[in-house]
Amino acid sequence: MQKRMLVALGFLFSVSGLVAQSHTIQYEKYTLPNGLKVILHEDHSAPVVAVTALYHVGSKNEDTARTGFAHFFEHLLFEGSDNIKRGEFDKYITNAGGALNANTSQDRTFYYELLPSNQLELGLWLESERMMHAKIEQIGVNTQREVVKEEKRERMDNRPYGSFLTEMLRRSFKVHPYRWAPIGSMDHLNAAKLEEFINFYKTFYVPNNCVLSIAGDFKVAELKQKIEAYFGPIAKGTKPIPRPTIQEPALGGEVRDIIYDNIQLSGVFQAYRAPKQGGDEYYAFNVLSTILSGGESSRMTKTIVDKKQQAAFAGSQPFFNEDAGLFITLALANMGVAPATLEQSIDSVVNDLKTNLVGEREFQKVKNQITTDLVASNGTMAGIAESLANYEVYFGDANLINTELEKYNKVTREDVLKVAQKYLNKENRVVLYYLPKEKTATK
Amino acid sequence: MKKLIYIALLSVPLVTMGQTLDRTKAPAPAKAPVIQVANPVQFTLPNGLKVFVVKNTKLPRVTATLALDIDGFAEGDIAGVADMSGQLMKRGTATKSKAVLDEAVEFLGGNLSTSSQSASASSLKSNFPKLFELMAEVVLHPAFNSDELEKVRKQSLSGLESSKDDANAISGNVLKKLVYGATHPFGEMTTSATVKKVTVSDVKTFYAKYWKPNIGFLVFVGDIEPATAKLLAEKNFGSWQKGEAVAQNFPKPAVLNKPIVAIVDRPASVQSVVAIASTVEIGPGSPNVIPGSVMNNILGGGFSGRLFANLREKHGFTYGAYSSLNPNRQIGFFQAGASVRNEKTDSSIQELLSEINIIRNEKVGDTELSRMKNYLAGGFARSLENPATIANFALNVARYKLPADYYQNYLTNLAAVNSTKVQEVAKLILNPSQMYIVVVGNAKQIAKGLEKYGTVKYYDIEGNETAAPQEPKVTINFTPQALMDKVVQGYGGKEAIEKIKDLELKGTASLMGQNLDVAQTRVLPGNATMTMSMGGMVMSKQALVNGNYSVAQQGQEAPITPEVKESLEESTFIVPEMMYLQKGYQLKIVGAEKVEGKDAIDVEITTPSGKVSHRFYDAITYLLLKTSVTQEVPGRGSVTQQQFYKSYKNMEGLNVASEQVLDLGQIKLNINFTSIKLNQGLKATDLK
Repeated sequence: MQKRMLVALGFLFSVSGLVAQSHTIQYEKYTLPNGLKVILHEDHSAPVVAVTALYHVGSKNEDTARTGFAHFFEHLLFEGSDNIKRGEFDKYITNAGGALNANTSQDRTFYYELLPSNQLELGLWLESERMMHAKIEQIGVNTQREVVKEEKRERMDNRPYGSFLTEMLRRSFKVHPYRWAPIGSMDHLNAAKLEEFINFYKTFYVPNNCVLSIAGDFKVAELKQKIEAYFGPIAKGTKPIPRPTIQEPALGGEVRDIIYDNIQLSGVFQAYRAPKQGGDEYYAFNVLSTILSGGESSRMTKTIVDKKQQAAFAGSQPFFNEDAGLFITLALANMGVAPATLEQSIDSVVNDLKTNLVGEREFQKVKNQITTDLVASNGTMAGIAESLANYEVYFGDANLINTELEKYNKVTREDVLKVAQKYLNKENRVVLYYLPKEKTATK
Repeated sequence: MKKLIYIALLSVPLVTMGQTLDRTKAPAPAKAPVIQVANPVQFTLPNGLKVFVVKNTKLPRVTATLALDIDGFAEGDIAGVADMSGQLMKRGTATKSKAVLDEAVEFLGGNLSTSSQSASASSLKSNFPKLFELMAEVVLHPAFNSDELEKVRKQSLSGLESSKDDANAISGNVLKKLVYGATHPFGEMTTSATVKKVTVSDVKTFYAKYWKPNIGFLVFVGDIEPATAKLLAEKNFGSWQKGEAVAQNFPKPAVLNKPIVAIVDRPASVQSVVAIASTVEIGPGSPNVIPGSVMNNILGGGFSGRLFANLREKHGFTYGAYSSLNPNRQIGFFQAGASVRNEKTDSSIQELLSEINIIRNEKVGDTELSRMKNYLAGGFARSLENPATIANFALNVARYKLPADYYQNYLTNLAAVNSTKVQEVAKLILNPSQMYIVVVGNAKQIAKGLEKYGTVKYYDIEGNETAAPQEPKVTINFTPQALMDKVVQGYGGKEAIEKIKDLELKGTASLMGQNLDVAQTRVLPGNATMTMSMGGMVMSKQALVNGNYSVAQQGQEAPITPEVKESLEESTFIVPEMMYLQKGYQLKIVGAEKVEGKDAIDVEITTPSGKVSHRFYDAITYLLLKTSVTQEVPGRGSVTQQQFYKSYKNMEGLNVASEQVLDLGQIKLNINFTSIKLNQGLKATDLK
């Protein structure tokens, strides 16, 4: 049961805190005349290749009356193209022994194909077809609308604590588009006309809003020619690409609420408003999060789960995005433990970070853990391709894949104390209790 | 040492870029990469520990895994001891408490894990020697601390408790017990009873019996020189004393000559979990393994399998239907199955068997075959990205005594599989006459007709054979009015009931371990409240007080519909059977049914507003045993909620159920009323 719960929780966070690093990753980066950014990492250690396309569009780019569009496109763009019949996109990959998928965050949409290296060109063909002339038709819209509804039922409505992100975001942000989650509103999707979908496609899914990042077993010189052949003819987008500029004011006081869900164990979720990703405070926060919940010896696990045995799981998660961030702590109460008791324990662990400097050995431990994690994230071609694209899009610097560790190394114990004192305050947070839904009995 | 992996890429012919690309069709694949999987460095320590080193310098990290060559454990009445000892192993050593050990591992930025027959550690290269020392300490000097055992036991028990409500878990357990046999290590079942029996001394005995270097494989993968690995292995595991390995001669499972349909009755089920399975004589390295994998994947390997196409896409019986084939040197295992709608249970078994027969009796088509081979070849190539794959290959070669070039030749052997071979293997592996057909579901609704597939037998959730759910033997020859009179009599009689002016029940319920306080109070005539709260926080409240109706669910007021009014009014009666016929309720005696082993009379009740429910009365005492209501829930089909009434106590002449069980299928709520008070002189104004 516990294992299942942890897996379920893993799904709640589609964007993870720590990103890539290792010994030097060589890559080549260039831009086609139509604006498509290309990043290539050549590596012959296994006969595999990861073809990825990152579009810089997420739920924050959506119209307030059309939320869920970006995530909807994650599905819609598998429907086919002028040359790919409906429903065949993924069959090409499966029949080639490959795997594919996509995901959508508040900031970007990411498509990828993992292939044996002799099928690399298939990946280029599929991604360029998707970008050049995807099929945006009523029949596909209708089909995918049902699929997305089913996904919402499965992942949010029927999954324990599955609504947590949506519930947390709408209380944490009042004006910024971060106030809704990528899944968006089914009513908005129902109301949208075909022209709106076509318009969204022509606005955002254009070469000048995309990074094509490919890693694996190929020769760069040959691949560049193929990329030119497949992607060169795609026209540059002509519409302006809307990006929100709105500033979210401070939360202005603690927000508390109770959510009733089909769950067995009560949950306590806290989200503190936090800075956007990439700055010094962002790195300090990631270190802080590892202190709280990185492994068995971390403070939350050791104190709340093992010593006090109040929770089946306790952890924290930096949820930092392009325009703003949240720092989330959460715990699932053990049998018979009241949520308020659990919250007190979480608060006491968190408050300690605001009053006492982290010990030197513990601080070193956390740095060691972060270093190991950064190295591990470069273990697969898919991981490398995604990291390169993320760093390029978010920070304009793909080379962070090689230098990010320095940013972590610069974080001091005082920096951790400072961010804790500045952000981890009651008036700056939303607290949600998840309680088991009591079913109606027959009389 | 040879190169670890040498992948020769044949030169790929270039697309000539001058010419226009033909976008209308998918590009042809380039020539397949030639894959060479060379052997890792191997050596054996004097104590018999076999060591493998797979050097891979792509990342500066190292993983070491120690695995014992054990197929399974005969655990008997302490089943669970193997898993528990595996978990306990990393919860402290002779000199380090759990907290000290965890901190030491994580200070190195490392991960350390243990199981019943393995231990694994990984970290950056620089910290690896120290981490490896900790791994050896954990393996050679585990503390097996009793406080930690209790923590592990608590987790196991709560996991087992929740799996009792999980039809898939029940299916898996019963299936294994039947197919392998109750005393076969693969068929033994871990239950709450066996987990409760495990002692620290059992764990120590288990450890002493199985953890021996001479049946161990130690595999290093990553940025490490074989010479360094050798030094580390000798230094840390050299002192480990060899011992006699436990013989792994498992009994041969009995083979059926006629299928058995094994039904596990689960009245709350709205879906049946159907699984068709048998043992198969297929071990690692058998020439049938690769064709068998092709055959199994065509039959039921995921979204592109035939079972999926048939049961989901064509018939819509299920969300997914799959099969699996697991070679094992003791005895292999085949299984096909799906979770299907109750009313499609019979048809689903029919279709599953039909697909099994088709793949036995007809050759697979060329396109289907070549697609599947491409799929498997691609998956094989992609798996090589993970250096641990190479280590596993080496381990399998050593463990199962495969030819040294087994994996090197994998793609060639895969390419050689043809439709004749697939059919041959299907005939060998799939023997419908030897299969168990396990169905976990609502027997009353699904059992009829299943005898055509084999001998029908019934089992409980622990796989013990039970009697078939019996048809109740009740003669019903009275009118609803006569029955209601008997019920009223059963409760204590009209006179006793009418003496009651107020009734207050207080108790607790446990909802998956959460404690709830439950209170039901009635003040006659016409007032009632029911509340459920947790830790002082009211979670739900229903009340009818002085003509004011209110229902608060999950913190929100619900609208008061005529149905809600009706049900609140009904709840104000001590024995509503006294008023049904007077107030225009329609009663129909539908038949008889067994309720928890008792014969019961099933009455369908339609309220004046048209809501239908069933009440089941004991055929001997006429006390209420169960109520049940079935509702359509959008998107989930029909859902049945049942409430059981138990442990009646006589209080001042009135029989009151002191225990109520609310069964919602996946969730069960057990309410125990610890305080039942009558005629305290309560007033409606006392009700809050």
